[in-house]
Amino acid sequence: MADFHSKIAEIYSLEQLSSQRSYVHDLHPLVKICSTLVYILCVLSFDRYTFLGMLPYVLYPLILIILAKIPLNMICKRTLIALPFCLFAAVSNVFLDRATAVQIGWLAVSFGVLSLFVIMLRTLLCVAAVLILVAVTPLRELTDELRRMHLPNIFIILLEMTYRYIGILLEEASTMFTAYRLRSRRGKGVEMKHMGSFVGQLLLRSFDRAERVYQAMKCRGYALHDFNHIRNPLTRSDWFFLLVTCGFFIFLRWYASPYNSGRLF
Amino acid sequence: MLKIENLTVTYPDQTKGIDDVSLTVMDGESVALIGANGAGKTSLIMSLVGVLPSSGNVFAEGIKLSEDTLSEIRTKIGVVFQNPDDQLFMPTIYENIAFGLRNIEMPEKQIKERIAACLALLKIEKLGSKTALKISGGEKRLVALATVLIMEPAIMLFDEPTAFLDPKARRNLLQVLNALPHTKLIATHDLPFAAETCQRSILIKNGKIFADGLSQDILYDAQLMDKCGVEAIGVYERKLK
Repeated sequence: MADFHSKIAEIYSLEQLSSQRSYVHDLHPLVKICSTLVYILCVLSFDRYTFLGMLPYVLYPLILIILAKIPLNMICKRTLIALPFCLFAAVSNVFLDRATAVQIGWLAVSFGVLSLFVIMLRTLLCVAAVLILVAVTPLRELTDELRRMHLPNIFIILLEMTYRYIGILLEEASTMFTAYRLRSRRGKGVEMKHMGSFVGQLLLRSFDRAERVYQAMKCRGYALHDFNHIRNPLTRSDWFFLLVTCGFFIFLRWYASPYNSGRLF
Repeated sequence: MLKIENLTVTYPDQTKGIDDVSLTVMDGESVALIGANGAGKTSLIMSLVGVLPSSGNVFAEGIKLSEDTLSEIRTKIGVVFQNPDDQLFMPTIYENIAFGLRNIEMPEKQIKERIAACLALLKIEKLGSKTALKISGGEKRLVALATVLIMEPAIMLFDEPTAFLDPKARRNLLQVLNALPHTKLIATHDLPFAAETCQRSILIKNGKIFADGLSQDILYDAQLMDKCGVEAIGVYERKLK
């Protein structure tokens, strides 16, 4: 039970950070979304062998973490969750692309290995940027801004509901699991033969609970139609941050880095 | 004032959850809704805010419930659910309380002031920054109450407010509710609680009003209550003696 609760608390801990105050927290959500977007586009625009050219981009998440006083290990831990997925996607390159890209002393680094590292670094940078965005901007401000950017409402609602219901699903699972464990023979995990009915019941219970939560939301005026599209004006500080960060990313990408045309060294 | 005229709730299987109910709750009045499980108490509450579709008329502070007035009605009537967890779906207590105010586009500064005042009223200031996972059942109930009180509704509907509460938390809630000047409709199984909070009680059986009168007349009437499958106050104690 405690484990489930700590997992739920962990999921929402990033958003709890977003209610803190700092220079980055106080920026306009539009500015944070735009700079993150430009950052991701710049990182993704590198070709698959440019490793060193991407390295200066590590500075952005690091500087934001320091400015926003976000625990570094919290972002690192979450970023690493994405690692197995990109490893799985990129590992075939190691075997298919075996030509030597660079010789470092006795070590021959193939293009496949190089692209593996590029994919890993790219994934880590993008995931870290998004996590930091979530940690410095309350979800409500993010979704409001996405609405003002005229993103399809259905995607935003799905994002909001999924985020909200993850905790509810885990809570239901926690209650059911505790009840199961107390009466099961082994007292450990759910037995395979019971898994079907367990998951089915979990689905039904979560559905029922989600319905009640939605009713509670409606009772407190949650309406999808009455959204205020008027945006707060950007301050000087917002413009400064936007211009500096986006300018820095673009400068690094196309002018400052000698490694941006597919060369490693 | 809350006025209900010929309210009927029909479920998809065509059974009637509420059957032609009419009643009026005057300004500042506290009314208990009493009935056995499945009598229709929750259905009545949910239909008053348009969560359950119904036929008939509901007037809250003179506004008639309809598709067009739904959002207005929901600012006039606040509902405290049976399970406070259903109302606490945001990451922090503060965010949970602010949810309704943000839906009506209230400026953040004003939201902050209102929340501080509301938390102080319920004496739960220290909970503001916590998550709903780390507070007790009694505290959850008070926070759920705060999420509704903050909207400053004229009428408050409570669905089993004492469910999941220990005696101390129950007493605390009782004091809080008695101090609220709102018009209140309280659906409960907890008859002593109903007797202490409401001057008037309405007994419901199979979706219909079976009796309506002073709490002291209804809640202690063993015969009347027995007909509705509810045990009157003091019956069990008398049996024990």
